[in-house]
Amino acid sequence: MIAILIATALVFAISGTFAALLLVAERYLVNYGRCEIDINASQRTLSVKGGESLLSSLMAEGVFVPSACGGRGTCAYCKVKVAAGAGPLAPTEAPLLSEDEIRDNVRISCQVKVRNDVRIEIPPELFAIKRFVGTVEALRDLTHDIKELRIALVDPPEIDFVPGQYIQLEVPSYGGGRGEVYRAYSMSNPPSEARHVETIIRLVPEGICTTWVFQHLRVGDAVALTGPYGEFRLSDSPREMVWIAGGSGMAPFWSILRHMIENDIRRKCTYFFGAVAKRDLFLIDELGRLAEELDWFTFVPALSSPAAEDNWDGEQGLITEVVARHLSDGAEMEGYLCGSPGMIDAAIDVLHKKSITDNRIFYDKFA
Amino acid sequence: MKEMPAEDALRRKMQPGAISGGGFLGSDARSLQEILDTDAAAIAALGLTHLQVAERLGEIVRAAMAAQGAPAEVAAGLQAVYCEARGRVPCPWSDGMFEKGQVEITDTRTGETLLCTPLSVHMIAAHGFYQGRGSHYRIEPGRLPRMLALPGE
Amino acid sequence: MILAEAVQSDGGFAMQMLVILVTAGLTENILLTRFLGMCPFLSVSRELRSAAGMGLAVVFVTTGTCFLNSVLYWYVLKPLAAYHVPIESLKLILFIVVIAAFVQLMEMLIERISIGLYFALGIFLPLITVNCAILGASLFMVNKQYGPAASLFYGLGAGGGWMLAIVLMAGIRHRLAKAKIPAGLEGPGITLVIAGIMAMAFIIFQGMVKV
Repeated sequence: MIAILIATALVFAISGTFAALLLVAERYLVNYGRCEIDINASQRTLSVKGGESLLSSLMAEGVFVPSACGGRGTCAYCKVKVAAGAGPLAPTEAPLLSEDEIRDNVRISCQVKVRNDVRIEIPPELFAIKRFVGTVEALRDLTHDIKELRIALVDPPEIDFVPGQYIQLEVPSYGGGRGEVYRAYSMSNPPSEARHVETIIRLVPEGICTTWVFQHLRVGDAVALTGPYGEFRLSDSPREMVWIAGGSGMAPFWSILRHMIENDIRRKCTYFFGAVAKRDLFLIDELGRLAEELDWFTFVPALSSPAAEDNWDGEQGLITEVVARHLSDGAEMEGYLCGSPGMIDAAIDVLHKKSITDNRIFYDKFA
Repeated sequence: MKEMPAEDALRRKMQPGAISGGGFLGSDARSLQEILDTDAAAIAALGLTHLQVAERLGEIVRAAMAAQGAPAEVAAGLQAVYCEARGRVPCPWSDGMFEKGQVEITDTRTGETLLCTPLSVHMIAAHGFYQGRGSHYRIEPGRLPRMLALPGE
Repeated sequence: MILAEAVQSDGGFAMQMLVILVTAGLTENILLTRFLGMCPFLSVSRELRSAAGMGLAVVFVTTGTCFLNSVLYWYVLKPLAAYHVPIESLKLILFIVVIAAFVQLMEMLIERISIGLYFALGIFLPLITVNCAILGASLFMVNKQYGPAASLFYGLGAGGGWMLAIVLMAGIRHRLAKAKIPAGLEGPGITLVIAGIMAMAFIIFQGMVKV
C-alpha cells in the first residue's frame, strides 16, 4: 500500500518539478523584455514587446509594411532593410531573398523575431499608410464575375489618397482556417469621396479573398484595410493620354476620370476598355454618357470574342490591336495601363510602335 | 514515418487558406511523397517526363495569355482560355512567385476540360507535383496524352 | 553483460570512460547494432545538412538525458526500492518525462543563447522527443548499471554513434541520387538495405573490446 503511495507521489513530484521548471524557463528565457525599433535613423522609434515578428511588431505600432500572406513567410512582400539587430538569416528567409538583397541586409520581416533592439530602414511613404476599419455599404454585381465593393469608413472616418492608388483589404479567417491574408485592390472612387473606399473585385477561382467577398461578405459587415499604397497616378504634364485596361483594371481609371471631372482637368484622353464578350462589360452606360458630354474624353470599348447573341457592332479584336488601329502618332502622348502582366507587355509593345517612349508609359502591373 | 520540419512546413503551405483558397492537396489523405511517387510512376508508364508535360502546358498557357482572355486555338480541336487575376502566388517550395490566373483547356470534340495555372505548371516542371486528388487544379496524368495531343500510350 | 565486465576491469577512470564511449558509439551502435531510432534515420538522412543537424540534436539530448536519468535512477529511485516501490516500471514514465522536459528546456535555451545554433538544430528538437534511441540509451544505461559519470560518456557515445550512422547514410544516399534503383526499392526500401549493409560493416567493431 505504502509503495503505491510513494510511487504516485514520486511521479507527481518529478512531473511537477519539471513542469514548474519549464514554466519558469518560459517566463525568463522566452521573455525578451521591451525592445526598441529605430526607423530611418531615429525618424521614428518604437518600443515594442520582444519575442514577436518584426512585421507584426511594426503593424501593431501603426507602421504598415505591405504583406499579402499575413506573416506566413510565403509572399515576400514584407521586405525590410534591417541595419542591425536581426540576428542570422532564418532558413525560411533565404529562399525568398536574392544575393544582392542579402548583402544589403534586406530581410523578410515576418520571419525576423525581435529579440533585441533593431535598426531598420523603410521607405518614408509607408508612414502615411494607416489602418482603416469600416462597414460594407454596398456590394453590387457589375458582371457575372465582377463585384463593386463600397465601404463606408468608420475609424479613421476619412482617407486621403491620390487617384490611382490602391488599398490592401484584410481578409479575416473564414470557413475553416482560411484567410488572414491581405489583397491589393485599386480604389475606384475619387478622393473627394474621402469617407468611402470603393473597389472593383473580380472573382478568382480558388482565391482566398475573392471567395470571401463573393460568398461570405454581406452589407453591414465590418471590414479592415490599410492604405493608400502605390505610385500609379496622373502625371503633371498636359499631354494627351491613352488609357488601356480591362476587367477590374478599370478601377483606378474610374477614380482618375471622376477626379478629373470634379477638378476640371481637361486633359484629352481616350480610354480603351477591353473585354471578351458583352457579359464582361460594365459601367458602359455611364462611360458612354460621359464621353458624349465631355469633349476631351473618348471611350472605346472592344470585345475580343463576342458571342453571337451579343449583336456587337462596336470595336472587335484584342484591345492592343484596337489601340494600334486607333492611334496614329503618339509622339506627344502618354500611356496609362492597368491589367495583367501579359496585357501590359503587349500594350507597351504597341505604344512603343506608336512612338510613345518608356518614360511616358505608366502602369499598375497586376503583379 | 516522421516528417522533417521542412516537409511538415511544405505540407502546411499546401493546406486550404495558406496559399490558395482550396489548397493543393484536395481531399487526398496520402502523404506528399506517395502522391509524388504515384504520379511519377503514371507519367513514366505513359512514356513521358515531367519536363515534357510542363513544356507543353507552358506553351498552351503562354498562347492563352497572349489572347488576353479570348479563346486561343492551341492545337487541332484544342482551345485555351485565360482568366486573369491580379497578384502573384508563391510556390509552396519557396522557389518562386508566379502570376495568378487560370487557363481552361477545352477539347472541342469531347467537351472535356483541363485547368492549369502558371504555378501548377511550375510545380510539375520543378517538383513533379500534379496536386492531390480533389484539388481544383489537379492534373490526372492519364488525361494528358488525350488532352494535350502529347505522344503517349 | 560483456561490456560491464570490460568496464569493471582495472585501467583507471579515463580508460574506463574511453571504453564506454567507444563501445557505445561503435561496438554497440544504438542504431546499427541495436536498431533504435530508425524512424528519423530513414526520413532525415536524405540531405547531409539536416542529417548533421538532427544528429547534433540527438547527441545533445542523449548526453544530457542519460546523465539526468542516471542521477534520477541512482539517487531517487534506487533508495526508494527499499519501500517496495516498482522502480523498474516507474523508470519508464519518469525517464520519458525527463526527456520531454529536457528537450523543451534545451529548445528555449538554445533559442536564447545562439540563434544560429537554433536554426541549425533547434527545429529538430521537438521531433526527437519520441526518438526511441534516446529512451533506449537511458534504459541500456540502467541495464549496464552505469553510474552518473559513466552514463554521461555512454550517452555521448550513443548519441555520437547515432549521429555517425545518420551522417554516413546521408553521404551514401547523396551518391545514390544518380544511381538506378529498382522502382520498388526507391526511398525507404533501399535505405533499409543500406542500413543492413552498414550494420554488417559495423560488426567489425565487435572485436575492439576484449573481455
